[in-house]
Amino acid sequence: MEDRKIRSRRRFLQSTGSLTGAAYLRLLGPGLIAVTEAACTAKQAESPFKVLGRDEAGDLAAIAARIIPTTDTPGAAEAGVIHFFDNAFATEMSGQLDGARAGLAEFNAALAAAHPGGGRFADLSEDEQDAFLRSQESGTLFGLAWTMTMFGFFSMEKYGGNKDHIGWELIGFEGHHGGWQYPFGYYDAELHGETNRDK
Amino acid sequence: MTNELRFDTREEVDFAIIGSGSAGGILAKELSTAGFKVVVLEQGPYRKAGDFTHDELAVRVRAELHGGGNDIHGQTFRHDESETATKPSTPPVRYARTVGGSSVHFTANFWRLRPVDFKERSLLGPIAGTNFADWPISYEELEPYYTKVDWDIGVSGAPGPFDAPRSRPFPMPPMPIKSSGVLLERGAAKLGLHAQPEPHAILSQPHNGRAGCISCGYCMWYGCEAGAKSSTLATMIPRAEASGNCEIRPESVVIRIDTDDKGRANQVVYLDADGNEQAQKAKAVVLSANGAESARLLLMSANAQHPDGLANSSGFVGRNLMHNAHAGVNAVYEHPLNDYKGVQVSRIVHDFYETDQSRGFYGGGGIDARPLFSATPIFQAQRGMDPTVPRWGKKFKETIAHDFTRQMSIVASTTSLALDSNNITLDPESKDAWGRPAIRETYRDHPDDLETMAFLEDRCAELADAAGALKSWRLGIHLTTGGEHLLGTCRMGNDPASSVVDSKHRSHDIPNLFICDGSSMVTSGRGQPTMTIMALAFRAADHIIAAARAGDI
Repeated sequence: MEDRKIRSRRRFLQSTGSLTGAAYLRLLGPGLIAVTEAACTAKQAESPFKVLGRDEAGDLAAIAARIIPTTDTPGAAEAGVIHFFDNAFATEMSGQLDGARAGLAEFNAALAAAHPGGGRFADLSEDEQDAFLRSQESGTLFGLAWTMTMFGFFSMEKYGGNKDHIGWELIGFEGHHGGWQYPFGYYDAELHGETNRDK
Repeated sequence: MTNELRFDTREEVDFAIIGSGSAGGILAKELSTAGFKVVVLEQGPYRKAGDFTHDELAVRVRAELHGGGNDIHGQTFRHDESETATKPSTPPVRYARTVGGSSVHFTANFWRLRPVDFKERSLLGPIAGTNFADWPISYEELEPYYTKVDWDIGVSGAPGPFDAPRSRPFPMPPMPIKSSGVLLERGAAKLGLHAQPEPHAILSQPHNGRAGCISCGYCMWYGCEAGAKSSTLATMIPRAEASGNCEIRPESVVIRIDTDDKGRANQVVYLDADGNEQAQKAKAVVLSANGAESARLLLMSANAQHPDGLANSSGFVGRNLMHNAHAGVNAVYEHPLNDYKGVQVSRIVHDFYETDQSRGFYGGGGIDARPLFSATPIFQAQRGMDPTVPRWGKKFKETIAHDFTRQMSIVASTTSLALDSNNITLDPESKDAWGRPAIRETYRDHPDDLETMAFLEDRCAELADAAGALKSWRLGIHLTTGGEHLLGTCRMGNDPASSVVDSKHRSHDIPNLFICDGSSMVTSGRGQPTMTIMALAFRAADHIIAAARAGDI
């Protein structure tokens, strides 16, 4: 298995002798993929969670969706960040699940005080959600939710979030491509262009 | 392919080497190919190129190559003795626990020291309250070994205007210039400074049967899956094993070096992968565990004959810890740099390398341009963002989407002065996961180190602006609270009262105990110490081989 991997990399190396043209196209980037499908959010709602209860998942998903909101480009919701939360709490971060639950209880108690009869966090308007979340920035839950949202949005898809590399596409990071051939960016391309003209 | 050589622990091998990193890997290769029987005890597992990944969560965040976070290592930190050391979530001293050591995961920036580094104390005079000293060797003595590193290990580069003299050219051209390098060159040209290509322990083209770099961008903290980074794992370890004289014994956590009634080292006691205590007998011991671990192990090995730890009659074991301090700025430019592609650094500015006494303080440094935070998305989100932008919400999202590919850092690496009060000791309470006393670091930058940082931060800011930054912000001058460069803690010197090893890396106190790694360094250089650690290891090997052949060990 390991040998095969190395051999295939060797072939890759041998085949990347002159890719300047293609590399320049890559440099321009794929742009942001316009994700218009609502399917991913629907799938998320149906998906059985490993450790999170339905309300817990709903609250955390709604918080993540304000940390990286859906705008003209997809956000934490479309990237399936909640699945990262669920996977992480089921595995490497299982030790933090109790703390997260305590934080959620604190969060919801504060929410009930601020919006009596207002339902869950997700039921508030976006402006209300943002205002309430700002009031919770020093709370137990916020720091953990923020960090896990970043992990879920930007880590490898295998951890449950960053669906279809939504997080990476947003920022122009093509981390899943492997190796590169220069020019890498605008300024070195410009330099190579000048150098070539000089010759 | 697999090397099946296994020595019996009761069989007295010629050398037990503790650590397989930058120094240990070279010593293993040199001693075994010279015909000596060698066992290398490495606390980490035996990962190969195919085991390395681009998984930021596993590697950078969860510190997979470090062997996990500080819940495992239990390290503590304090600025000075008046404070009680506390246990931060990230270990203060950070290094890879894997065959090849930190040469596997380092960024591979690769500077030689200059002649001045070896004799600054003579040139500049004493600095009160410090252990500022000349090295017992000169640049000229080390130069052939720097050249050996260039060719045997594999170094890419091109000469710069201030470089130390070299006896042979670089074996291969520098890595391709990146947008960050182009911008640094522009800024430097405007300011009358001199940008030059960065040398790397990374192959820009095939060399010694190894493939060249594929510019994947995962150098800093990651292992190289192409084998193009010139770690000892990629270069020396395979040749050591091929000698038929060397066993690499991974997952061997050393707990002490024993001495006999003649005061000589006679065995290395370690915990094997199952946690069982083993003892490897050896005629001589080479300690190359890094500037924190080597000191800890000598202190842990205290016995009735050596109550303050082995090789510590001077009291200098663990003292004079030097990290190289850092300062710099982040800057955002109009067009995409995509600086996450390729090696971190492609151009450096070494105009401020030497101490200028007219500035009123000791110190200097080297400046480079690199993605740093914008090498990977989570790091950018956590640490790299414009501090004037909210940490979440629409504006955060817009900013990271715009800046990630357009941002770079201009970073200075600086001198650190050697001080008694900056040191590695055994924490009196905290233990690591193997039950060993945890590393306790005590460190407060000397005022001159802080002045150097502030001076160079200003230069970095000027360079960022001169290169045309749309916006830039300073990373700030902070007291150092740990690091990856672990230097000075078993310094070399001619006087046994103020050094731990002699100029040939033999400990003053124990004739068959050699110590060679970052701990040997007398001064810190300006950052990027690995090239020097490797050159020292090649040189130490020559002296150890000569002594062994002469029956003088």
